[in-house]
Amino acid sequence: MSRKKTVKAKGSSKSPKASPSSASGRTGKGLSAAAAASSGLVYPSRPSISNSGEFYDISFKVMLVGDSGVGKTCLLVRFKDGAFLAGSFISTVGIDFRNKVMSIDAVKVKLQIWDTAGQERFRSVTHAYYRDAHALLLLYDVTNKASFDNIRAWLTEIHEYAQQDVVVMLLGNKADSTHNRVVKREEGEKLAKEFGVPFMETSAKSGLNVELAFTAVAKELKHRTMKEPDEPKFQLQEYVDKEMRTVGCCSS
Amino acid sequence: MEENSAQHLTCSNDSERIDPYGFERHHDFDSYKEMMNEYVAVLNRRSTRWSKLLQGKPRVEKNLTVKRYVRKGVPNEHRSRIWMAASGAQEQLESNPGYYQSLLAMEHDAKLKETIHTDMHRTFPDNVLFKSKAEPGLQAVLYNVLLAYGHHNKSVGYCQGMNFIAGYLIIITKDEEKSFWLMDALLGRILPDYYSPAMLGLKTDQEVLGELVKTKAPAVGQLMAQYPGIWTLVVSRWFICLYIDILPIETVLRVWDCLFYEGSKVIFRVALTLIIHHQAEILRARSLPDVCECFKQITCGAFTLDCHTFMRKTFTEPGSLSMATIDKLREKCKQHILEEESRQR
Repeated sequence: MSRKKTVKAKGSSKSPKASPSSASGRTGKGLSAAAAASSGLVYPSRPSISNSGEFYDISFKVMLVGDSGVGKTCLLVRFKDGAFLAGSFISTVGIDFRNKVMSIDAVKVKLQIWDTAGQERFRSVTHAYYRDAHALLLLYDVTNKASFDNIRAWLTEIHEYAQQDVVVMLLGNKADSTHNRVVKREEGEKLAKEFGVPFMETSAKSGLNVELAFTAVAKELKHRTMKEPDEPKFQLQEYVDKEMRTVGCCSS
Repeated sequence: MEENSAQHLTCSNDSERIDPYGFERHHDFDSYKEMMNEYVAVLNRRSTRWSKLLQGKPRVEKNLTVKRYVRKGVPNEHRSRIWMAASGAQEQLESNPGYYQSLLAMEHDAKLKETIHTDMHRTFPDNVLFKSKAEPGLQAVLYNVLLAYGHHNKSVGYCQGMNFIAGYLIIITKDEEKSFWLMDALLGRILPDYYSPAMLGLKTDQEVLGELVKTKAPAVGQLMAQYPGIWTLVVSRWFICLYIDILPIETVLRVWDCLFYEGSKVIFRVALTLIIHHQAEILRARSLPDVCECFKQITCGAFTLDCHTFMRKTFTEPGSLSMATIDKLREKCKQHILEEESRQR
């Protein structure tokens, strides 16, 4: 039994890099050379079981980036395990990933989520992996001005190393810390608008918008890959705006 | 003497499941205790031997006997002294009186302070001694050692991973200044430049390991060759953290005994032993995530927990490994990386 769906790969010609391996090689090779579509998607050729033993239809690579201490690992653990254990995280050294299978419009989407060390010097080690990423979640910490100021530098880095059509989303994390907040929501919105990327505030601690951030990305990637010809384009920011909870909003 | 060392290492707190180093071991306390119950006989025997060896000797010499002793493990009560002596840290400490204090007293770089501070509550949150409210709090000690080191070696400053290393040094020496000089020995003399901003030494050693695996475990080498860049994924943390949080603490300390005495070669021996011993498992991996998962699995379990046997294997399983070979490979790989990097620019 295979849950594999025959989906048309998105145009590989869009790849910004001259090297054909930028999209096709790395992630696909291991599962099956034949199944590695040129889009860089991981299509399982045998009954597809993720590391946790769950079936999935398509798989995407998502990377978490941003300054040291903005809460990348916490966000990932909150999403993966639904937990926030204050003071139990160790600083991430190097690069690591976890899988989570989500159900998006009856399609099982596996997100392979890469967590990276935030310290600047580790970028020379980790940016080689940007190239295969389908989506990048770029985080700053609303209680840390420097982490927000560095977002421009991060976006430059992303444009330099990632695929041109990579999905980028800006996240202002630790939105629960009302007392220590130094970056206003509007500032995040403005910056995101300037760079044309979707934006929302999140809190790994309270869980605010965490699921939504990953769901939105998964939806966008799934739509890009499996869109019927007459289906309208998925509007990521619209979807996010509709679903988003804001801090202090009573409707949550 | 015998009783002392045995007591020191087994006086772990049963009800709270905390090991003698302060780590809470909620999940593996029983297997740890079981291992220690057997290991204690070895420790006692080694302890007696070491006491005899060191009796009446103000200085620890370096010779074949001591090397053999170090490979069989340095008992905890002598660890600080042996690491200090073998690495040259003691000599530095003695010839630079007041230097460490002067580093603490000087005006400090604000950015460096901030960077170190970010990692304070993220270093061993599972260790009772490093909790922010611990008494005596080792967080403050850790902060001092890292801040002093960052100003001592400005080209490195602070790199994540150093927090864990300094933490272990503090746990073992229970002394700020000694921990500082051991950091200096490790980063300044024993290890290649793993921690400087370019991380060239790290990238080099990852590639060197890849080369060694090609010769020592060709099938694994072939598998890994399918995934460019995979060595970074699977071993960068092994190297940067010097196996902290990768291998069980007792095993890490045994590795460090050899690291301080014999140098950085042992890092490769450990990696090769893990890989060669688990070849069959690794070769079953069918994808990059499989391989990564497998490389996590092979560091856990009875094989690495039984530190005495494990260390004996690190000196037998990978076969001969000369420093000349390592030096040659390091030079070759470094050149290769530099060429690659200049090509990409």
